[in-house]
Amino acid sequence: MGTLVIENIVAGYGSGPNILRGLSLTVEAGKTYCIIGPNGAGKSTLIKVIAGMLKPREGRIIYKGELLNGLRADQVLQRGVCYVPSDRSLFPDMTVKENLRMGGYILRNSRLVEKRIEEIFAQFPILKEKSSQMAKNLSGGQQQLASIARAMVLKPELIMLDEPSLGLAPKVVQQIFGTIATLRDQGLTIVLVEQNARKGLENADQGVVLDLGTNSFERPAVEVLHDPRIQELYLGKRRQPLQTENTQ
Amino acid sequence: MIQIIQVLILGLALGGVYALMSSGMTLIFGVMRIVNLAHAAFIIMAAYISFWLFKLWHVDPIVSMAVTMPVMFLVGVLYYKVMFASRADNPRFTDITVLVTFASALVIEGVLSYLFTGIYRSTNPIYATKPFLVGPFFVPQSQVYATAISITLIISLWLFLRYTRVGNAIRATMQNRNSAQVVGVNVAWVSMLSFGIGLAMTGAAGSLLSFIFTFFPSKHVAWIGMLMSLVVLGGMGSLMGAMLSSFLLAVIAAYVSFYWGPTWAPITFYLALFLILLFRPQGLLGKKMDG
Repeated sequence: MGTLVIENIVAGYGSGPNILRGLSLTVEAGKTYCIIGPNGAGKSTLIKVIAGMLKPREGRIIYKGELLNGLRADQVLQRGVCYVPSDRSLFPDMTVKENLRMGGYILRNSRLVEKRIEEIFAQFPILKEKSSQMAKNLSGGQQQLASIARAMVLKPELIMLDEPSLGLAPKVVQQIFGTIATLRDQGLTIVLVEQNARKGLENADQGVVLDLGTNSFERPAVEVLHDPRIQELYLGKRRQPLQTENTQ
Repeated sequence: MIQIIQVLILGLALGGVYALMSSGMTLIFGVMRIVNLAHAAFIIMAAYISFWLFKLWHVDPIVSMAVTMPVMFLVGVLYYKVMFASRADNPRFTDITVLVTFASALVIEGVLSYLFTGIYRSTNPIYATKPFLVGPFFVPQSQVYATAISITLIISLWLFLRYTRVGNAIRATMQNRNSAQVVGVNVAWVSMLSFGIGLAMTGAAGSLLSFIFTFFPSKHVAWIGMLMSLVVLGGMGSLMGAMLSSFLLAVIAAYVSFYWGPTWAPITFYLALFLILLFRPQGLLGKKMDG
């Protein structure tokens, strides 16, 4: 089974304080996990640690029985764990197609990469249409789509998406979650970090609430969605009326 | 009229060498955000290798590129490993590189002065002093060869970056280091390789420079100011930009030198640096940088 086990991870940046403080989480294959929590809770840090972009100070990450921590980002990728950063970081001066080709960089088989790109074009016609445009000229939603597609070139078993809806118009957010739903249907394991907690949870099997660098709460997504505490904290439902500073 | 065209030809004939010198520096900055103030010192170092190969065994300086390029590549890889590899994640990496490379330039200058004294050197293969005469125009053979070789090397570098897997990884790292890591590029390895390639370019530049200019250990001080202005004018990190600015400034400097005397030629570069920083700090073909 492609289970991802995270045990007591402690991590932080440079010589800074610990952001993750002994976090543990088990990600079961084929399920979608939505990670929510306040700013600074360590949501993105967790993903970066799993992806090999940040070395944990303590703890273990085990994927399919193999230890991932200590591996470089490219080595984690080789093992089928993909990461889509929050800043839609495409290569701005490469075309959409070149960006997708870079997605297949570790495959070392250009014919296979071209084949995968054709499959992606069939799935997302808009990318085919824009294939020879520079990535920097795409709209925000198209860039997000392209960066998810770039990860799909590897046909990963596990994909981690950091704030895919960040800064996108509501209609575009809808499309991105449509894409995520497609990935779910294909049986991928998905770890989703979302500011838009409601949308994220609606599209997930499990909800994980991080607080101060630990896993404070993990339930089926539907339960998290309807938990009154969570509703109050992250979903914008308040028991008391909003403070009236702007309403004079 | 003939004079005006003659000056243009001389300027263009130098432009290629300037472009070669700045290409390595702009690549190194583009990939790693290293401001390599030792670039000119490395060029002088390579020029000395060519000089001694010529002096001791009569190896033609163009042929000795086969030695200087791989040697400087290895120097670059080693230098990067020792000085920068462990610091690459430091948030003030670029600031650090300015100091480290400046210090390195002084060390290289000191060692070269100690070993080879401050005597003006140059190699003098047969073509060093012969011109091509094209109609009424006079074109120094040495500069034609040097510029032709330089352009060939820069185009090869460009093709390498554009069409090979490793070249694409280098370009990806230049455009977005974080994303390059995300798609599985080993950026530490790419950085080391790019530094090696950048210094291989100084190897070639040193060999070519050895027969068109005289050089001595502290000459790098004059060159680095000029290289900085070429790289900044082109847009730091832009290969094509560096090439464009090299030809542009070489030609302008040739005219300045012709009308006001050679003493004034260097002012062209500094004035260009000054103006570009005032009006278009991202350079001719560069991109605006965030943060």
